[in-house]
Amino acid sequence: MMVSDKIKKIKVGTASCGIAAGADEVLELLRQYVGDITIEEVGCVGHCYAEPLVDVETVDGTVISFQHVPSTVAGVENVLGLGDRGRFTIPAGRRNKELHKVIGLAGKICPTSFEQYVENGGYDGLKKALSMIPQAVIDEVRKSGLRGRGGGGFPTGTKWGFMAAKQAEQKVLICNADEGDPGAFMDRSLMESVPHQLLEGMLIGAYATGATKLFIYCRAEYPLAIKHLSIAIDQIYEKRLNVIAGLELEIVIKEGAGAFVCGEETALIHSLEGKRGTPRFRPPFPTDSGWQDYPTMINNVETLANIPLIVREGGEMFASVGTEGSKGTKLFALAGDLRCPGLVEVPMGITLAEIVFDIGGANPAEVKAVQTGGPSGGCIPVDKFDTPVDYDSLKSLGAIMGSGGMIVIGKQRCMVETARYFLDFTHRESCGKCTFCRVGTKRMFETLERITAGEGVPEDLDFLEEMGNKVRSGSLCGLGQTAPNPVLVTLRYFRSEYESHVREKQCGALVCNALTDVLLDQEKCIKCKLCIKNCPVNAVSEDFVIDNTLCVRCDTCIEICPKKTIYRVKKGEGYYRGQN
Amino acid sequence: MDKINFILDGKAVSAQPGQTILDVAKNSDISIPTLCHNQKISRTTSCFVCVVKDVKSGRFLPSCSACPVPGQEIDSSSDEVKNMRRTALELLLSEHTGDCEAPCTIACPAHARVEEYVRAGRKGDFLECLKIVKERIPLPMSIGRVCPRFCEKDCRKNVTGEPVAINDFKRLAADLYYETYLEELPPLIDKQVAIVGAGPAGLATAYFLRRNGIASVVYDQMPQPGGMLRYGIPEYRLPKAILDKELAHFNKIGIKFECSRKLGADLSLKELKQKFGAVAVTIGCWQPGSMRCEGEELAVQGIEWLEKIALNNWQGENPGRVIVVGGGNTAMDCLRTAIRLGSPDVNCFYRRTEAEMPAEGIEIQEAHEEGVKFNLLTAPVGLRRENGHIVMTCQKMELGEPDASGRRRPNPVPGSEYDVEADLVIAAIGQKTRATADLRATKWGDIDVDQETYHLEDNVFAAGDCVTGAATVVEGVAGGRKIALGIVDFLTGSKHQQEKVINVSRGHWSSLVPDDLVYLRNDVSHESRVKMDFIPLAERCSTFSEVTHTLSEEFMRKEGERCLECSCTAKADCKLKSISEEYGASPEAIVGEKVKSGYDNRHPTIIRDRMKCIKCGICVKICKEVINRNLLSQKQRGFVTSVGTAFGEPLPDSCRECGACIEECPVGALDWKIK
Repeated sequence: MMVSDKIKKIKVGTASCGIAAGADEVLELLRQYVGDITIEEVGCVGHCYAEPLVDVETVDGTVISFQHVPSTVAGVENVLGLGDRGRFTIPAGRRNKELHKVIGLAGKICPTSFEQYVENGGYDGLKKALSMIPQAVIDEVRKSGLRGRGGGGFPTGTKWGFMAAKQAEQKVLICNADEGDPGAFMDRSLMESVPHQLLEGMLIGAYATGATKLFIYCRAEYPLAIKHLSIAIDQIYEKRLNVIAGLELEIVIKEGAGAFVCGEETALIHSLEGKRGTPRFRPPFPTDSGWQDYPTMINNVETLANIPLIVREGGEMFASVGTEGSKGTKLFALAGDLRCPGLVEVPMGITLAEIVFDIGGANPAEVKAVQTGGPSGGCIPVDKFDTPVDYDSLKSLGAIMGSGGMIVIGKQRCMVETARYFLDFTHRESCGKCTFCRVGTKRMFETLERITAGEGVPEDLDFLEEMGNKVRSGSLCGLGQTAPNPVLVTLRYFRSEYESHVREKQCGALVCNALTDVLLDQEKCIKCKLCIKNCPVNAVSEDFVIDNTLCVRCDTCIEICPKKTIYRVKKGEGYYRGQN
Repeated sequence: MDKINFILDGKAVSAQPGQTILDVAKNSDISIPTLCHNQKISRTTSCFVCVVKDVKSGRFLPSCSACPVPGQEIDSSSDEVKNMRRTALELLLSEHTGDCEAPCTIACPAHARVEEYVRAGRKGDFLECLKIVKERIPLPMSIGRVCPRFCEKDCRKNVTGEPVAINDFKRLAADLYYETYLEELPPLIDKQVAIVGAGPAGLATAYFLRRNGIASVVYDQMPQPGGMLRYGIPEYRLPKAILDKELAHFNKIGIKFECSRKLGADLSLKELKQKFGAVAVTIGCWQPGSMRCEGEELAVQGIEWLEKIALNNWQGENPGRVIVVGGGNTAMDCLRTAIRLGSPDVNCFYRRTEAEMPAEGIEIQEAHEEGVKFNLLTAPVGLRRENGHIVMTCQKMELGEPDASGRRRPNPVPGSEYDVEADLVIAAIGQKTRATADLRATKWGDIDVDQETYHLEDNVFAAGDCVTGAATVVEGVAGGRKIALGIVDFLTGSKHQQEKVINVSRGHWSSLVPDDLVYLRNDVSHESRVKMDFIPLAERCSTFSEVTHTLSEEFMRKEGERCLECSCTAKADCKLKSISEEYGASPEAIVGEKVKSGYDNRHPTIIRDRMKCIKCGICVKICKEVINRNLLSQKQRGFVTSVGTAFGEPLPDSCRECGACIEECPVGALDWKIK
């Protein structure tokens, strides 16, 4: 195989997103053919839509990137021969609108290399912090205006101040890495790509507040993140970086068992203590009484990963980015109906339109809404996309910033079905403690099931609204308090869709199975019989008519038809055996 | 530390540091309901029934866990707060599965505590059985014989076979102890009540008035008291000697009867109203219905015919060939009486099919056995006399769409007319109230009382058939009790008015499968139902002897073993029930899936019915924090959250001595098996 002599070094993105796209196989093939050239595994740069990504550093110092590298000899040959195929450049929208700060090193360094992190300014923040008095560190964080990135948005400096003021024989710092929102992967990406950055933030936090016991509560579904963090912790122990002000800090990774509610801080503490993961009433807040009753501070991964930058560059520098109430940059996990899903880092205050259209590459004509804040956030309609993304603006729309999940919803989606889908998740994930959350969300979910099944009545909408508001105000923790959001917000912005479901028994988006039929357009049909062969219930007759009595709306025929002659139509417009 | 001053329901109050709003409310005599709060354990904050509102922030707080902050204004009694509490309760009720009260008790029109008296019988204590029956049913000997057994129709045992023979407990208990048992009677007050009509409703009114310390005089138009019990129901179903025994007890407890006194003739409502503290009108339905066909005057009226035979001590001439038109209980009584008088040919004519007959199934069956011929889907169109006989022209019918009564409407088949001949044609087409002019009547002729209170006007109440239309003895008794209590309230100023009682039900047996049944005892009998003890058929057809014997104690104790004891073990002290009733929360308000999480009766003395659990977690914490055993834990999450033991093991035998969790369970999810 021809290997270009211009190649100096090769980097393969092997974070979870890369591996899922086949990066491991690509890496294996590259190793077979590169000879002496150094190959490095790096983390994720956020361009998930282009994985597997391979960066080639040339002898003249330029970097050539390849996207969608196939795990074939030909694919690898193209890279090693520096072929023209699959060259990757960052799209203009992304380049212009993004601001990489907290993920500045992600995808550029080897996550498990202590040296590479240090070479790139790593642990300078810790060094600087240790040269300051703890209060000065807290002041710097306070000056930065950093607010909790887990979703709550509580000012981090203030929380650190509370914690530092506590007198106790032991204080505990917990990094909340139980990233539970479906579609959110900011924290995973950070932990997989720059584990040391998180640990540096934790060590600074421990120094500033006097915490000596450090936990990382990470969901067990993140094995690579746990692996990288474990390696990084070993390196820290080896370098004795965990000895701060003469005290040896203990850093423990605790794997969560997968309960969404354990992202809530009091439930998380219960889980850490070996108890059932259920929240409790606050106050007392964890900073007063947390893990084993010790003062305990809980910060999110992204929050802590911002700390080294703040200390290194100064709080004012951090605060120079963003809006009045929301400073710095924010990570978002973009997913859904758009061209370029992936991880993005943007300055606070950027508009939704910029994120969804410019960065995400979604077509404005095809977007209906965006769901921010995960399953308990809200769907913001496209006509509100000029809203700046910050804690307060999103809240005023009935949505939440949340931890940073952002799901783009295309015009082809049904909002009632979308709300049902999100509530399906939250009602199952309720810990079962509070009546309103356990039973109220279930009854709301059942109502949505009825509506999407065409059995809704107009009174159901009043019930959803009333019960939604009661679940909001009658639940202990954030899960219950936000679970009704998808329903309440879609009822606010997309009420007409609900109305047509319950009054006309129609689903405008032709999504709800019970409210649609499937029709084969005989005129365009080329009689290839693929539909007949693949229909699991034999609903397509030999003369190419789909019997909607038999059809289970699985869409197999629609997807398989080479001429797109089969599609969904309104209920009643399809053929039913014994009629027409 | 300083006290915390805040406002609770507009009142300035103060809290010690660490006190919750609920603590302060308790000290301030403000009642805040809670299910999950328990002094013995750490806070659970689960039920949210204790919510209060922080007026300034607009937030709802669980008062069991929220400590007041200085200057806070807490609202615990506004409609908004109550509405929130009601919704919390209704959500809990919507997932709560059980039977507050047994279906038999709910089904009984008199709401006799059926499960309880069957249990007393099962244990062989038939005196106790009778005592419980008589709390609601003062005529147990009669009803023990003639009741159509509403209770048995809803008995859960129907899921796996035949219902428990409930009514036979009543009959046996009454036969054994009715004459000797004397209920406690309070001293009489100085007011008296006049009761017009000595049938079931009037007798019940008199009885329950006496049990509440009020004497009465019962007037009746007939020579002897008893009403339809004496002059309608034939001797072979209810021997009059039995009725006399029953009525003797009424005399014994001081109830006076004045017979052969008829309202409107020799009895004036106006005078009764003046002379007595209150008047109860229980005159029944004695006006026969019409056949509405030509020559109908040639037919005799069923109730009048039976009355005549009753007055003649159940003797009479052979009526020859008999036709009875109608399909109700009176029709059956006429048919079977005709058989006993020696008629060689007894025919029932009914315009629909047997399935639509209003008569009790057992009556129809026994009529068949005794030789009655049924001519179904046939209606009379005319009667005429020919050669000393009566000729009835009939027409065949076919069933069409259901009518207002839900039964399919019979439509005549054109050209299907034919003639039949008989010596006696009896019309048994239903009965109406014969109200006097001074009694306000509905358009159907029934007395027009307030449907809630059965109050008519001034000091006059009415109940029984004359209010409801012809019904059963037990319904008449239920109505009598209702106005008795109304009259007690009217005369003494007491307040018997029933408060809103809720009942959670696992559902009608017809919607259940065997796996849905909950066995409180492990040894519930699966034997088949006890058989009725009939006298020989030949004797039945030729004499007026009672058709069945009372079953023996031995049989009935065994029958009692079949009872599932459906009602909730905690029905007397269920907090969910009592608070729901206080807040007007209804089990039907919010409907949705209920988790069939099963029950565990493996422990010798404890039953855990997870379907009743409201997931408050008190039992888990009591066992862990107070008893230090940690035998229970909450499992799973979301709607299917449940409380269970490690690996689903049974509770250990040592729990027999403890039961601390049982004492604290706010519902009946954990309980002793013994009722």
